[in-house]
Amino acid sequence: MSGEPPALRVNGRAVALDDVPGDERLLDTLRWRLGLRGTKEGCRSGGCGACTVLVDGRGRLSCLALTRELEGSSVMTVEGAADDPVGRTVQEAFVQEGAAQCGYCTPGFVMAVTGLLRGRGDARPTSEVLRGLGGNLCRCTGYVAIARAVERARQELR
Amino acid sequence: MSSVRRPDAEAKVRGAVEYGADLAVPGMLWGALVLSPVAHATVRSVDLSAARALPSVVAVGAADVPHIAGASGDPERRPFPEREVVYRAQPLAAVAAPTLALAREAARAVRLELEPLPTVADVEAVFPEWPGPGGPGSPHVAAHVLARRGDVDRALAGATTVVAGTYRTAGVCQVALEPHACLAEAEDGRWKVRTSTQSPFGVREDVASLLGVPEASVEVEGTWVGGGFGGKGASLLEPYALLLARASGAPVRLALTYREEFLLGRSTLPMVVRMETGVRDGRIVARRVRLLLDVGASLPGRDFATGYSIGFLLGPYRTEVFEVEGYAVRTNKPPFGPHRAPLAPQAAFAVESHLAEVARAVGVDPETFRAQHLWATGGETPFRQVVGPFGLGEAFAAARARAAAWRAQRPDGHGVGVGLGFWSTNTGAGGEARLVLSGRELRIEQGEREIGSGSVSVGLATVAARRTGLPFERVRVVYAPTSEAPFDSGVYGSRTVGALGRAVDEAAVALLAEIGRRIGATGPVTLALDQDRLVARNDGRSTPVADLLTEDERASGGVRTVGRHYGVAPAIDESLVVDGSFYPFQDFTGAAHVAEVSVDPATGAVRLIRYAAFHDVGTVLDPAGARAQVEGGVVMGLGTALTEEAVWSDEGRLLSDGLVDYRLPRIGDVPPIEVTFVEGHAGAGPFGAKGLGEPPIVPVPATIAAAVRDAVGADLTELPLSAERVARAVKAPRPCGSGDAARPRGASGDRR
Repeated sequence: MSGEPPALRVNGRAVALDDVPGDERLLDTLRWRLGLRGTKEGCRSGGCGACTVLVDGRGRLSCLALTRELEGSSVMTVEGAADDPVGRTVQEAFVQEGAAQCGYCTPGFVMAVTGLLRGRGDARPTSEVLRGLGGNLCRCTGYVAIARAVERARQELR
Repeated sequence: MSSVRRPDAEAKVRGAVEYGADLAVPGMLWGALVLSPVAHATVRSVDLSAARALPSVVAVGAADVPHIAGASGDPERRPFPEREVVYRAQPLAAVAAPTLALAREAARAVRLELEPLPTVADVEAVFPEWPGPGGPGSPHVAAHVLARRGDVDRALAGATTVVAGTYRTAGVCQVALEPHACLAEAEDGRWKVRTSTQSPFGVREDVASLLGVPEASVEVEGTWVGGGFGGKGASLLEPYALLLARASGAPVRLALTYREEFLLGRSTLPMVVRMETGVRDGRIVARRVRLLLDVGASLPGRDFATGYSIGFLLGPYRTEVFEVEGYAVRTNKPPFGPHRAPLAPQAAFAVESHLAEVARAVGVDPETFRAQHLWATGGETPFRQVVGPFGLGEAFAAARARAAAWRAQRPDGHGVGVGLGFWSTNTGAGGEARLVLSGRELRIEQGEREIGSGSVSVGLATVAARRTGLPFERVRVVYAPTSEAPFDSGVYGSRTVGALGRAVDEAAVALLAEIGRRIGATGPVTLALDQDRLVARNDGRSTPVADLLTEDERASGGVRTVGRHYGVAPAIDESLVVDGSFYPFQDFTGAAHVAEVSVDPATGAVRLIRYAAFHDVGTVLDPAGARAQVEGGVVMGLGTALTEEAVWSDEGRLLSDGLVDYRLPRIGDVPPIEVTFVEGHAGAGPFGAKGLGEPPIVPVPATIAAAVRDAVGADLTELPLSAERVARAVKAPRPCGSGDAARPRGASGDRR
């Protein structure tokens, strides 16, 4: 290990981890330490997907991740998604298709879809992408508009 | 008709809107509730001293509630029980601390001395022979309703066929994605709370009554709401947060955990329905319906649940001789809560299943039988209310045609069913809105928050745009706290566009009239956008709005008009109501749905293959939003139909208190859903619109049950249609004498 203080990158910005207790969840670090409350708190037990963020480009439930264990990783939250070409495309597709109603599950869905479509993920069939969303709950849309948004984003990224 | 870009969508996809659960201010404390570990007990003591001894902790209990003399404090409705715990998880105290961890530690430090009492958790255990001993006078009965028309016994005696059935439905949990949450401040006798609510004014009233303080001292500011399906209508956490804020002198954030959300978030509760129907010459001659409804620890006299659901238990069908009786039964469960079209999906399941059974018993096709008895515009309900413009017959005809096409193609193991759902939107509840027109935009000042359906952010703006002629993008909905906004009842009952929208429409009409006066108009006036400024148009002339404003109006934002809508209760024949109260219908709406399902004969697992929904909506104001409401309602109903079941132990413990044990529909459960609107049967709303928040869920369990019956040939009488229940029904002996022409399907393979 180098002599660098432990750090994590969040939306491209370095975040020091010195003061973070070992049992602090990434969700709480993001929401209450960094003020990034776009990441939503739902069930806190991995059952709803509302807290999904990207860790090193892959979707991850921030309620089940310990911040200190992610040292050296890059985290992207919904606040950073607009600066990512895939993330921005997904966000716009959600707007166009009316996939956000109350919007509380939306950041988690946007990040999960972004993770699934990155790195040539757009080449996957929509059905496969939708299977990857089985852990994200929505109570408003019935998922229909979300599925349409996934398809729209996939088409636009191809 | 094209759809608009929803104004709140962009901020939502960026995670940039603030929900109740996101509220935070510097110096705030974190609150936690102390919940009763038992369902029924005498309170010996709630000792806060150990919690208060912790550093920087405040704790409040029953003794800390103001109950100012002369205020509207109702002793039955206090935040903390003083003598008796009546449900598990009932709050006994609340604590706050600088961190959530410390607040939780403090909550655990509160010493409870509770002396357990016998627990009642099952309504049928209370009334094994209902209606019978105990009856309306029993202390377990919170409300009783009874209505009758004609001599039911005589009519049933004269029937050639009488069919009886009993239907049981489970409680449904709200599970909005955002748990209840609020942030409170209390200073110098002023109470201010920001909260995720469907009704800021309702919360204000509740808080005043629960704390025993004047309503004028309470200010409620709604936040963005992370889903509201009825559970965020009345106050829940606000009184506790406010008491903690007063005790600490600091702002206090209080939010439910997800487990607490399941416990306290206002589930609906189980109901049992008995139906008896007599037929002669292919026509219904009499119906008797009895309801036993679990209302948990709801207080006596609050008969919303029975008074409302009773009307739906007769369904949208002609019945001249009937008797309906409902008991709201108190149990040691949390108080009953309304969930999207409260009890109507369950009622429709019972009505549709029962009438199909009746039809089969007399050898008539169940769809034909229902069509023959369906209400029509201008007819009469059983309570002799005139049926308003009603497109359900047209929707039903379209649904039957679709079902016939699907039946012709269905493979073995599949079933196709049609279900009807009737709903009355609550356009009677009143509200007001202000419009403010400047040279650049039209603002709608109103008191609600957007809960997700779009009824506020899109619906109200659409009404104002359509009435004035302005483009949607130049109409802005303004959200204001109760201290500034005009009164409105709340975003519930599918009433927002139908009732508050009427107030907006009235204000828009007044605005056009005022502008007309100022330009000396003859004939109709409209507003329009002309090169980035608003203009008034009349008789070929175009006048910039900015030129029409007085100096005062320029300084204060523009021309103001006010609209009010307070509905008038329609007439029913009150002489039919023997006991309790019956709620007349405000608006007549409904839907006919078609489902195709497959049933695994080995496990009983039901899978939805495709779905079609035909809705009587009066007039579609926002096509994309309307379609989205139906899609969302259908999928929520899919949960009610197949998997969502609040399971309670005999000790009043909720066993399904998380997402593992209480299964919501997931993206992979959703089939293609086709949505069709039947227009032209004008509702009470602006431009003839009918509410659409609740109707889409109403027919779903009935429709899926009909499809499952078609697949397996067995009757399903309990919701949800879990795999276990379906498998048991398939194996049960077939009912005799049903005159059932449908062949048993699904028993011949399709094992995967």
